[in-house]
Amino acid sequence: MEHYLVAMGVTAGIYAMMALGMNVIWGMAGLINLGLVGFFAIGAYTSGLLTLKLGWPIPLGILAGMAAASVSGVLVAMITVRLRGDYLAIVTLGFAETMRVVMSNELWIANGTDGLSGIPGPFRQALGPHLFNLQFLGIVVAVTVILFFLVERLVHSPFGRVLRGIRDDEQIVAVAGKNVVMFKVKAFAFGTAALGLAGALYGHFTSFIAPDLFAPLLTLYVKLSLLAGGLGNSIGAVVGAVLVVFFLESTRFIIPWVPGISAVQGAALRELLIAIALLVVLRFYARGLVPERIAQPQLPSTPAQASLVIGKST
Amino acid sequence: MLKTTRRKVLKGAAALATTAALPKGAYAQGEPIKIGILTPLTGAGGNDGPRMLKAMTAVFEEVNKQGGVLGRKIETVVEDDQTNPEAAVRAARKLIEVNKVPMILGTWASAVTAAVAPVCWESKTFLMTVSGADSITLLPHQGFLIRTQPTSKLQATAHGEFLWAQGGRKVAIIGIQAPFAMANKEHLEATLKPKGGEIVSHIIYEKDKPTYRSEIDQMMRGKPDYIYTNGYAPDTVVLLRDMFRAGINLPKFAQSYAVPQPTLDTIPAEVSANVFTGQPSADIESPAYKLAAARIGEKEPDGYVSQATDWASLAVLTIAKAKAVSGVAMKDNVRKICQGSGQKVYSAVEGLKVLAEGKEINYEGASGPCDFTDIGDILGCRFRYMHVVKGKLEFLKLV
Repeated sequence: MEHYLVAMGVTAGIYAMMALGMNVIWGMAGLINLGLVGFFAIGAYTSGLLTLKLGWPIPLGILAGMAAASVSGVLVAMITVRLRGDYLAIVTLGFAETMRVVMSNELWIANGTDGLSGIPGPFRQALGPHLFNLQFLGIVVAVTVILFFLVERLVHSPFGRVLRGIRDDEQIVAVAGKNVVMFKVKAFAFGTAALGLAGALYGHFTSFIAPDLFAPLLTLYVKLSLLAGGLGNSIGAVVGAVLVVFFLESTRFIIPWVPGISAVQGAALRELLIAIALLVVLRFYARGLVPERIAQPQLPSTPAQASLVIGKST
Repeated sequence: MLKTTRRKVLKGAAALATTAALPKGAYAQGEPIKIGILTPLTGAGGNDGPRMLKAMTAVFEEVNKQGGVLGRKIETVVEDDQTNPEAAVRAARKLIEVNKVPMILGTWASAVTAAVAPVCWESKTFLMTVSGADSITLLPHQGFLIRTQPTSKLQATAHGEFLWAQGGRKVAIIGIQAPFAMANKEHLEATLKPKGGEIVSHIIYEKDKPTYRSEIDQMMRGKPDYIYTNGYAPDTVVLLRDMFRAGINLPKFAQSYAVPQPTLDTIPAEVSANVFTGQPSADIESPAYKLAAARIGEKEPDGYVSQATDWASLAVLTIAKAKAVSGVAMKDNVRKICQGSGQKVYSAVEGLKVLAEGKEINYEGASGPCDFTDIGDILGCRFRYMHVVKGKLEFLKLV
């Protein structure tokens, strides 16, 4: 059981990294990016190919994976700069599907639908499967913590404030003299780097990647993490990711106890439970289990106080 | 009022530690043998997974009725692989680490098998699969994997012979993008060319499309006289409908799993006219196929159902032969019961009886002779061809 929990911990950590990355793009800047899994794939393929075919050291491969994801993030952001809301969502979804189709048909480098197997993991042979997983859990937790603090730093910085401004009203931010396009591109660059990082780590963990892995299902799970945890909030992103993995996995243990259903009905029931959980969260915790905390300026209650406040600040 | 005190926590921890320290032997002798089943129950494989599951369960029930194996009943632990490698790996880890299954039966999509295989061999768990991609058995699986599906080479060569015998001279291939797509084309071409036939067009399509009309038009440009489809059931149905609409009345070949009877029942007879199917099969006199058909109450079980029947039988017989339940025992003993000069048996129950008499056995399965190479591929098999007549599959020939 403990080995299973360790492996699921790694999965939760990788989901959390993706949720944190998504949170910058979607939660803070308000850009609905459904192409998440495409950037995840770019990170995984870049790092996998460089370490597998060219023998690069794993940390360097991961950095290259982040960079490649980030660069493609910038490109996608520049192309879609005029799109907002549903239109952006559709285009980014198309981007992810395009990535998957390209990888499926590309035989020379990416090995087509056969995928890449035997991607090296740090000390995989020396440690054996159980210790390797434990070590990887350590790596993933450390990376998630670092990423968490980076994102938190971003949230409280002037940069984060502008992003939230763009999310709430783009025009006002533009009128205030900010270069909205540049901020959006930067948000994409940072967020997609985190997605690439998660993808690269996932490849080194499981040792196998293939185009089928990068189906929209994963995007939806991470989106679910953010909705459940709380959009625009780093703690919410991590809590949501852990909750989603916990929920996905715990339903396995509940289904066998439901009397009178077959395995096939059980599988369908599991998907139904996940849908119901999402509905419940959206109905009763519309802003997520850990809602975004926005510092409210202390509004003066009387004109006298107001003049006092103004007097102080000048 | 529930209060968590230090004492309570300590007591709880001590109780947990004691439970964990209990020796394994504290369980009853007849503890059931757990076997992991990981088939697609949802997603693209949702059509085939449940039928495979039913076939395996039927074999295990039959064995359990006869008293089980090694005096223990067989209990299956079923997980859904969601036809998705990421979800499948999580499910496989649960089966291996929590349920401690010695083997996993049932992965379907090649990408899922390739993702699950490393998890299995690293933890010494045996894996049986229908995935057809040649690359699967080339993975460094150390013997912890066998597949009952013939390689692309075996299949395409046999199909090529069949097409030629049917009068196919200018063959058009239209198939899904999958690891077997290119290999099939190459082997089909290699079989037809020396005889004087040719591949006039080769179209690869993307799964999940609502129509394949443009792909069909593109394919017809080569003016074929025979169409070789190479997809799964959901897309092959769309393909057949679109070909009917386009007024194409050429003979069409499909894998038996792409046009199973339940699928045929959902489409009009005119749409499925002139369709031929092929599947790996046992000898015609082999009763294993008939037994499998009777067991699940289907007239003509397709390739996947037959293969699932064989996994379950191989699992039971190997455990009986090895007198041990572990992935390593499976790997070391599976070839001792399915090939060689032992007495031929056609079902798990029959094999158990012969083994109990102390004789050697050679299991001949519903999907073929079930003889495996060192890397886990089947050595060879016969092919059973069917013809769709008025919406019903009818036996044509066995080669």
